Amino acid sequence: MIQNAWLIPLLPLIGFLILGLGNKFLTKSLSGIIASGTVLGSFIIAVTIFLGFLSGENKATTINLFDWINSGTLHISFSFLIDQLSMLMVLIITGVGFLIHVYSIGYMSHDEGFTRFFAYLNLFVFSMLLLVLGSNYVIMFIGWEGVGLCSYLLIGFWFKNQDYNDAAKKAFIMNRIGDLGFLLGIFLIYMTFGSVNYAEVFEGAKGFASGDSVLVVITLLLFIGAMGKSAQIPLYTWLPDAMAGPTPVSALIHAATMVTAGIYMIARSNVLYTLAPITQTIVLFVGLFTAFVAATIGLFQNDIKKVLAYSTVSQLGYMFVALGVGGYSSAMFHLTTHAFFKALLFLGAGSVIHAMSGEQDIRKMGGLKKYLPITYITFLLGTLAISGVPPFAGFFSKDEILALTIGPFSNIIFIVLSFTSVLTAIYMFRVFFLTFHSTFRGTEEQKHHLHESPATITIPLVILAILSTVGGFLGMPRIMSEHHFLSQYLAPIFEFSDLKSEAKAPSEFAEYTIIIVAVVVLALIVLWAMNRYIKKASVPPADDKQTPALRNLIYNKYYIDELYDAIIVAPINWFGKQFNNIIEIQMIDGFVNSIGKTVIWGGKTLRLVQTGAIGFYIFVMVAGIIAILLYNFIR
Amino acid sequence: MKAIIILSALGLATMFVGVYNFKKALLPMILLGLLAVIGINTMEWNTNIHYYNDMLYFDNWAVSFTNLILAVSILVFLLSGQYFKKNTDHLEDNYSIIIFTIIGAILMVSYSNLAMLFIGIETLSISLYILAGSKKTSLASNEASLKYFLMGSFATGFLLFGIVLLYGASGTFHLHGIKDYVIENHASLPTIFYVGILLMMVGLAFKISIVPFHFWTADVYEGSPTLITAFMATVVKIAGFAAFLRLFFTCFSSITEHFVPILCILAVLTMFLGNITAVYQNNFKRMLAFSSISHAGYMLLAIIALKESSFIAILLYTAAYSVATITAFAVLLMIKAAHQENDSIDTFNGLAKRSPFMAFTLTIAMLSLAGIPITGGFFAKYYLFANTISAGYTWLVVLAVFNSAIGVYYYFKVIIAAYFKEGSEEKLSIFPAYQLVLIITAIATLLLGILPGLITEMM
Repeated sequence: MIQNAWLIPLLPLIGFLILGLGNKFLTKSLSGIIASGTVLGSFIIAVTIFLGFLSGENKATTINLFDWINSGTLHISFSFLIDQLSMLMVLIITGVGFLIHVYSIGYMSHDEGFTRFFAYLNLFVFSMLLLVLGSNYVIMFIGWEGVGLCSYLLIGFWFKNQDYNDAAKKAFIMNRIGDLGFLLGIFLIYMTFGSVNYAEVFEGAKGFASGDSVLVVITLLLFIGAMGKSAQIPLYTWLPDAMAGPTPVSALIHAATMVTAGIYMIARSNVLYTLAPITQTIVLFVGLFTAFVAATIGLFQNDIKKVLAYSTVSQLGYMFVALGVGGYSSAMFHLTTHAFFKALLFLGAGSVIHAMSGEQDIRKMGGLKKYLPITYITFLLGTLAISGVPPFAGFFSKDEILALTIGPFSNIIFIVLSFTSVLTAIYMFRVFFLTFHSTFRGTEEQKHHLHESPATITIPLVILAILSTVGGFLGMPRIMSEHHFLSQYLAPIFEFSDLKSEAKAPSEFAEYTIIIVAVVVLALIVLWAMNRYIKKASVPPADDKQTPALRNLIYNKYYIDELYDAIIVAPINWFGKQFNNIIEIQMIDGFVNSIGKTVIWGGKTLRLVQTGAIGFYIFVMVAGIIAILLYNFIR
Repeated sequence: MKAIIILSALGLATMFVGVYNFKKALLPMILLGLLAVIGINTMEWNTNIHYYNDMLYFDNWAVSFTNLILAVSILVFLLSGQYFKKNTDHLEDNYSIIIFTIIGAILMVSYSNLAMLFIGIETLSISLYILAGSKKTSLASNEASLKYFLMGSFATGFLLFGIVLLYGASGTFHLHGIKDYVIENHASLPTIFYVGILLMMVGLAFKISIVPFHFWTADVYEGSPTLITAFMATVVKIAGFAAFLRLFFTCFSSITEHFVPILCILAVLTMFLGNITAVYQNNFKRMLAFSSISHAGYMLLAIIALKESSFIAILLYTAAYSVATITAFAVLLMIKAAHQENDSIDTFNGLAKRSPFMAFTLTIAMLSLAGIPITGGFFAKYYLFANTISAGYTWLVVLAVFNSAIGVYYYFKVIIAAYFKEGSEEKLSIFPAYQLVLIITAIATLLLGILPGLITEMM
């Protein structure tokens, strides 16, 4: 079966081709079936291979499809690496991807671009699979660019709205900045190791001393790529804007899969990162800072999707913290559970938006509990999971990361991260209560339309809710179970890194403390939020109301967008204008035009030589012959 | 060789069939005949036979150039059916003269003796003098014929003088005899031998319109009946270059220092004059005339490089150039058939709306002439230039590339006229034969660009 792994990315590609070419001829139901069916097919193949890995029957295998580039010393094969890490990612991509495809059939049913939407979605799945399956950095880069393209296409899916197009462009450009870093990283990898294949690169890297400057530069460049794709400070501002896309897109691309590509890339390159402790520290602090800042912004947002977007940025920060302290399998663990509960929350939000006829402002919702019972319950489970309430999925994965941060840097990381955790719970319960409890605050017309979503929407919600509830048991802390399933499964991938890094398993006392404190604090937060949003029915103020300075600052996202505009966009525009006026118009155009003018003048003049008089023609011929003969005699 | 015999019979038969009034059968008979000749000629592949005391030598180059000439002639004949319907009453005469022209061209690509070269050139030229003036009532056609004849005979004089001088020095007309003579007397070749080479060069340069012997080209192309111009622009070029290369490669490749510097100067002059003058032409036929001069300039680079691979370069280039030129003339003929307009580039205005198919094929042809990938013109140029660079004339290639850039300007003028200018709205219908020609040429152009290996691997 493992030899057939190439089918996994091929199926969505076929789906894309059918949908893309048959755009005009396919009915909606047929396109939905083709799109979901291909992803389901990939998922089934992935499951069989995954089971093979569990039983120990499958070993990490490279499937060589064809030699892609053979030029001089540069050999790049188009090949896939099937191992524990890539299969975990494939399961998430195809599994969650399939559920979101099904969900989209219901969600997008009234959209005129239905088939186009599914074509893009299939193309995305294909690119993402290429990204995680590639056995060298170049294939990963192709997938990396592919998902970037799909993200662009899908954010701007409703391209008639200029704001959405701007959001799409912003996402694309910010990602390109990161991609440049990634690309330079690949070049440097090739220069250093003479290959871009994972196997050869990592084998070569093991010969370097820890902290070697080349490795530091390589890892930093790769990390710049990861910052763009996984929305870390300073390249994170595109992600909240990316919520312009349809909600299933936000769930699939901007929560569950694409944005985690950066995490995957670093986990894949764990050998390099383990040998570059300086980069690890930078990763750690960038992740920590991002987690904290994004969580604070999330506190005051009123757009349900924006809150979730900042929450995603913040959770990705968590994963980077885990990578920074060398907890690669913990990062992958949180990536997995996050894919479940964040997809669930987005899809739940989508269900709410669907019911509210497109309204996204939580100030105009409220009391939806009785109208959307299934959405309500599943959203609650998602909220509990992300807040880290035991025994839901988020509790285990977050707890594991928190436990890793005890110790280094005199516990500052632990403290900030714990505080961020508290903020997470606050903004999530704020959204939850404002949306589903108290009384309805929207218009009468909206109220009239309120309805639970169709089965294609609710079934994926239920499945994801179950996964969000039990997903945490993939990795139980030491005090509860001897057997940490996920880290054992991934152990072969991180073997080298685990050996290198000092054992930093927290004491049992610390783990108990974390758990107990977490539960108590969470209980207090829930009580406080219930009191504020249900009993007092407090609603966030309207936009034009005067608010305290700090709140204002955070509500406006620290004016980061405005800052970027002022220090980057405006100067670039200024330079562009100057270059256009001086160099382009005056110098280059002048030069080019003068060549053209000379040629035309020459044509005008030489044309006159063609007089039409034979006598003249023959005279020139004879002159030519004489010149030729003379030339030969003089020489 | 068999090709020449069968074609001669075909030419005679054409005349008689005309006399006995079977005019409808003429064209099918000629087309079938030409196809049969291609088949028979192809069977001589790899046989390398010397005919008649080494007067003719059918090596693979002769066979391939003959086939190319025949294939292009078939395209011209396909266009001729509609064209001659209203342009002449002497159908059979025109046809048989064209066939005799082809025979002359085949002699030029297969000769192994200077006498045969002379006979070939004269058969080709005299037939063309007549064809150029075949539109008897048109003043321009008469003028073209007379100009061509006067200047052509003048050039022939030099060619003959050159042959005589070579004979005087070496005592033989045979190419291999001359070659042996050159090798034996390498150090002490007499002056008359050098002058002979230079005068032959002049005579041949006239046929392929190299500056400063190019003056006839524009006037004759413009004045001749359009179909004959198409024939001249393609078949004469193929035969002329093949003959030029055959002579110089076989006989003089060991004494290049005596004529290559002059050829370099002529190539540069030809490229610049052809391209720069073409820029300002508004008459499409004149523009193609100057464009053909510029292409001759590029192709001269293959003779300057003077290697075995120069044959491939010339074969590829003439093939790509001929196919594209036929397309251009076919479209022009089609537009002119719809309403009697002039040959100005403005006649193409709005062609994309009037006939998208013609506009598309015309675009492919123009892109090929300009040397844009993925057309045959691009690969032919690439191969030609690479061949020249490997012979060590990089500076010439730099100038040639610069000239290609100028070429883009006037070729794109046609595309712009077809797609972006407002013209007559009236739809153009297209004759089936023309449609067939356009489809064949478009496919051939793309095929030469995408799979040039078909030709380069074969050789």
